[in-house]
Amino acid sequence: MDDRTTKAIISGNEAVAIGAYKGNAHFASGYPGTPSSEILDYFKQFKDVIAQWASNEKSGLEAALGASIAGTRSFATMKHVGLNVAADPLMTSAYTGVNAGLVVVTADDPGMHSSQNEQDNRYYAKFAKLPMLEPSNEYEAMAFMQYAFVLSEKFDLPSIMRLTTRISHSLGIVKYDTRRLDNEKIFKMKKDFQKYVMIPSNAIKKHKSLLKKIEELEIYSNESPINRIIKGRSSVGIITSGVSYNYAKELLPDAHFFKVGLTYPMPVEKIKNFVESVDRAVVIEELEPFMEEELKIAGVKVEGKKYFPTDGELNLDIVKNGLEKCGFLKKDKSKVIFEDFELPKRPPALCPGCPHRPVFDILHSLKPYVTGDIGCYTLGAIAPLSAMHTTVCMGASISMGIGASKVQDDEKIVSIIGDSTFFHTGIQPLVDAYMNNAKLTIIILDNRITAMTGGQPNPSSGFNLNNKKFEPVKIASLARTIGIKRVFEVDQYNYEETKRIIEREINIDELSVIVALRPCVLSPKKIKDEPLVVTDKCIGCKRCLRIACPAIDFVNNKAVIDADLCTGCNVCKSVCPVEGAIINV
Amino acid sequence: MCNGSKMDIKSILFAGVGGDGIITASNVAAMACMLAGFDVKKSEIHGMSQRGGSVSAFVRFGEKVYSPTDALGQVNYLFATEKIEALRANKYLNTASIGIINDRIVPIINQEIDTEYIDKKLESVKIRKIVKNFAEDALKLGNPKVINTIMMGVLSCYMPLEKEYFTEAINKIIPKRILTLNLDAFYEGILIGENTRNKNYSREVN
Ligand SMILES: Cc1ncc(C[n+]2csc(CCOP(=O)(O)OP(=O)(O)O)c2C)c(N)n1
Repeated sequence: MDDRTTKAIISGNEAVAIGAYKGNAHFASGYPGTPSSEILDYFKQFKDVIAQWASNEKSGLEAALGASIAGTRSFATMKHVGLNVAADPLMTSAYTGVNAGLVVVTADDPGMHSSQNEQDNRYYAKFAKLPMLEPSNEYEAMAFMQYAFVLSEKFDLPSIMRLTTRISHSLGIVKYDTRRLDNEKIFKMKKDFQKYVMIPSNAIKKHKSLLKKIEELEIYSNESPINRIIKGRSSVGIITSGVSYNYAKELLPDAHFFKVGLTYPMPVEKIKNFVESVDRAVVIEELEPFMEEELKIAGVKVEGKKYFPTDGELNLDIVKNGLEKCGFLKKDKSKVIFEDFELPKRPPALCPGCPHRPVFDILHSLKPYVTGDIGCYTLGAIAPLSAMHTTVCMGASISMGIGASKVQDDEKIVSIIGDSTFFHTGIQPLVDAYMNNAKLTIIILDNRITAMTGGQPNPSSGFNLNNKKFEPVKIASLARTIGIKRVFEVDQYNYEETKRIIEREINIDELSVIVALRPCVLSPKKIKDEPLVVTDKCIGCKRCLRIACPAIDFVNNKAVIDADLCTGCNVCKSVCPVEGAIINV
Repeated sequence: MCNGSKMDIKSILFAGVGGDGIITASNVAAMACMLAGFDVKKSEIHGMSQRGGSVSAFVRFGEKVYSPTDALGQVNYLFATEKIEALRANKYLNTASIGIINDRIVPIINQEIDTEYIDKKLESVKIRKIVKNFAEDALKLGNPKVINTIMMGVLSCYMPLEKEYFTEAINKIIPKRILTLNLDAFYEGILIGENTRNKNYSREVN
């Protein structure tokens, strides 16, 4: 990267990283999660910055807060549910405030392209009383990020930058340079008992000062050009923010727009005047009626969710439909929409060679109750593997297993968790299982990478975001150090041995930990060995289809293996009941 | 009441399966549009595509583009690397749409695919379409990996921008070591495209 102005097609996530750099950020920490993961990958490419993965979002945000207090502009990145994990520091950092600017980037996932829920994180801004910025496109993602640091320092509060999947993962043309802002203010690290030590006597005062800051922010929000009016020629008004602006602007180019950039605190007075200047005003927002409620509480006459859904992602069709319902657009009856064909779905599947597969095939046969977790291995819940029975949030597998194993004896309980998830929020439950003598079999799928979100390194990988090597954290040693006696390591490609150990441990009434050590076949490097072949000894029993390998197809009553896809993991051969029907060549 | 005057925006919908190179192909097209002076928005939909799921991407271009995704019935060009995925895109098309479709079906785990049904449905899609086994053309060039570039060449024959913007985009995006191969593939695609365009045209005239 250099200082010249470039014109390029970039994503919202890349724009956030550029904006952070231009805004003089030097430190960034986060935990991966779609759609936020790429921000740190882009940010680390700049010179003189420190970018690192944390084990979870709480740790990531706290690291950024520490760096801010130490006098460096910093930010933390996470997906929407990550902010639940980081909610604890978020809430109280609103009391302490910052030193150098601090920005919390949260990427929501309306439509749940890759998430377990579609919570609307705008409520966190109101909950914590922190300013929240919402860009509508790539250029704004870059500009607002810079602005977020300025705002953070001006009000001595962390700013929250809210992205959504459609902002993070859309690309558009942006003209930019990668020059940092000049006149960087120097923030010295200070020992300030009243500001940074949130014991009640200090926190009581800090809460009062937070309430005052938010009042000032409200005034500021009404004056800031980040909340702007785009005049139109018609008599109707649209109040909108984020990606929704694009749909509305394209459908109703002549309407008056109030485009909210600072979603919290809302510029209520300014919007009130705007609403009075138009015949009718409608709020268009994705997910919850956040702005609509804020306005209605203040007595501003607007409509909104009456016409638009509260779930899912908006798009041109849904917004058009809502605008027709509310009478802002004439119903377009002429348009014929082509058929939405009945087609076989193409669900995601574990990759050919994925080391998670044999474990789920084994669990499928042994039939315990499996409390699961989130990662690629959640695909083990899907038929025909069908061997995971709960998935709630990251880290919930072991802890839910503890509860379930304590209160009943009918079901054998197995908790299954990936390595990144284990380091995220699985270690404490493991300690709890030990401390409370839970009779549980815990399987840790240690593929040495955070595969689900694109292969980010974790404590088990032995290298970090900057490719610096370190001695990987050994999960088996950790479990033994806790005091757990029954700790075993297995290689899942050795199917029989893995099955023997899992079966034995499920049937022993004690806490045991099985660490499955085969690495991911996709990252950090693609692994592919010689493919296997089906011979004419195949009896067409379909046992190999039960492992749901994308490399195996069934044609003319026989299995066939796609040589391009097969990685030679041998798992199909291990489960095949006929000697010599699947062979290595 | 306002009239939702549709601004003059055109769009391409890329549809395929994880690993098909949909992202790179859409990047090339988006870059070509930018080089030609259009405003461009691109949006990728790939929930868990790395695991073999469906992948799609919209590229929308025009004087000024706001929405990164398109509406039903509004897509001008379909670039599909697989037939089931092409059919999945059907609702976005209209009678004026043009489809460049690779004649190929990617199997789905544990599902039997009724290929006759797929072909019949594809037949019934009322757009101008070029359905071709582009793998054969790629093999002729000695590399199965250039299917998308050949298809891009075909697509370029139908798009309202000079072909040189595509070659410039390919130059910028495709790695040097496979650049010549891809440029050859692009020209091969143009030959196919010019051919089909003339044929389709004459049929329309009749
Ligand atoms: C609180 C929270 N943060 C992040 C995510 C996104 N996420 C889902 S699974 C996962 C990691 C999975 O990695 P690992 O446990 O190693 O399993 P693998 O995918 O490698 O099998 C992440 C980061 C999430 N769902 N929730």
